[in-house]
Amino acid sequence: MKTIYKTTIISLSVLIMAVLFVSCSSTKDKYTNADDDDFKIEKSGAQLWGETCNRCHLAPSPADYNDTDWDTIGLHMQVRANLPKEDIEKIKEFLKSAN
Amino acid sequence: MKKILLTISLCFLAGNIMAQDKQSEIDSLVDVALAKKGFKPSKTQFMIRGYGHTGVDNVTTNGEKESSYVGSAFAPIFLFKHSDKLIFEAELEFALENNALEIGLEYANVMYVANDYLTIRAGKFLLPFGTFMERLHPSWINRLPTKPLGFGHDGIAPSSGIGVELRGAVNLGGPRINYSIYSTNGPRLKDGSIEAAEAGMLLFSNFEDNNNSKAFGGRIGLLPFSDSSTEIGFSTYSTNGAGVRGSVYEDVGAFLYALDFSFIKQISAIGGMVDVKSQYNNSKIDNATYFDPADGDTYTFNNKSNSFYTQLSYRPTMSDSDFIKKLEFVGRYSSFNAPVGAEWAGEAEQYAFGLNYWLSWRSLIKVAYQTTDTIGGHDGDANTKGFFIHWAIGF
Repeated sequence: MKTIYKTTIISLSVLIMAVLFVSCSSTKDKYTNADDDDFKIEKSGAQLWGETCNRCHLAPSPADYNDTDWDTIGLHMQVRANLPKEDIEKIKEFLKSAN
Repeated sequence: MKKILLTISLCFLAGNIMAQDKQSEIDSLVDVALAKKGFKPSKTQFMIRGYGHTGVDNVTTNGEKESSYVGSAFAPIFLFKHSDKLIFEAELEFALENNALEIGLEYANVMYVANDYLTIRAGKFLLPFGTFMERLHPSWINRLPTKPLGFGHDGIAPSSGIGVELRGAVNLGGPRINYSIYSTNGPRLKDGSIEAAEAGMLLFSNFEDNNNSKAFGGRIGLLPFSDSSTEIGFSTYSTNGAGVRGSVYEDVGAFLYALDFSFIKQISAIGGMVDVKSQYNNSKIDNATYFDPADGDTYTFNNKSNSFYTQLSYRPTMSDSDFIKKLEFVGRYSSFNAPVGAEWAGEAEQYAFGLNYWLSWRSLIKVAYQTTDTIGGHDGDANTKGFFIHWAIGF
């Protein structure tokens, strides 16, 4: 068990270092010449709302909360459901525009 | 004299009218100014969300029938948004069980969004060991009234822990990856001194660490397709000591892992939404010697357990009928295998079928039938059949 434990610790440490390195390193603007649009499939907030929320629960009705509430819920869901920031921003934008 | 009084009254009245006009003018100016400026809510926000359920359970175990309305479980979630980066969450759980009100602190933690790809959490949080306990267990999300085998009381999957966690997600331009790495107090090993029949089990409610060993774990999830329909996850949880400090069990370690799978998609060919969820849990605890008070002897066993569940649900979302659209058909299989040689050795298999009716996106009525066959275990061989009607609501 010691070996497995040590392996786990080492793997997690490497992962932590990689995460910290990537997340704290400089932005794409400095190193990336290509436009993000060249690589990313841009989706609307409505589309992301349908696809993302449904992964756990039914997609919420925009009218059930006001803009301020959606900000709080959005931040909470970003962390709890471990969602990319850009996805949750678009979803929030859609929910606020449709409520 | 009358004329004087009349003049004074008229002046007073006129003054009042003028003052009111002035006030109305000021009010309307303020309204216009506010409308121009727009309502600006404060950055600090407080919300109470949560969920609850109630219902009736009919359970027959080896021919003995029990029927009871189950008390409302109420789980308020408190969200305190301090800023756009800092949020505190806490969930209390109130449940009526064994003729008493039980209150529990499901989680309470502070979360700081360091940047787009990294969030730090500290406190008591739900562990990302697979997805069921972290994301799917609330009654308004869980499609069946019960948990699969391997979760909850006597389960092998850890549900929460006290510690610190780093987590985040990245959109890779279609596919997405999410990760989580954490350290917690870790589990406690039940050595049999309190309940001999549970010797060798792990207890994950370790509010004050019973030794100096911490548990380390993490999960990595991959959503390979741009529509986020599929997620595959791998989780680990490991400690090199789960026994009480200074005892012979102090260095008894444990290594757990889980594999999870999720698929959800609206498929036109079948006119609705298909949702598949699966999780496999595996637990290996170092072998140790325990005392059996029944025969006054010691024993040991290969302390390996596993559990599995897979669930399929279907909602005919493309139906023309509003009533049929709100229905959901669910089936779930789960199994649990406890270590051979343990006092709690046993295996169990469970099938559950349900029909749900969605009143709204966050409220549903669940009707389910469940049958469980157990060999060995705590209470010996058993066949349990259950019929449940639950009403769950999220808010």
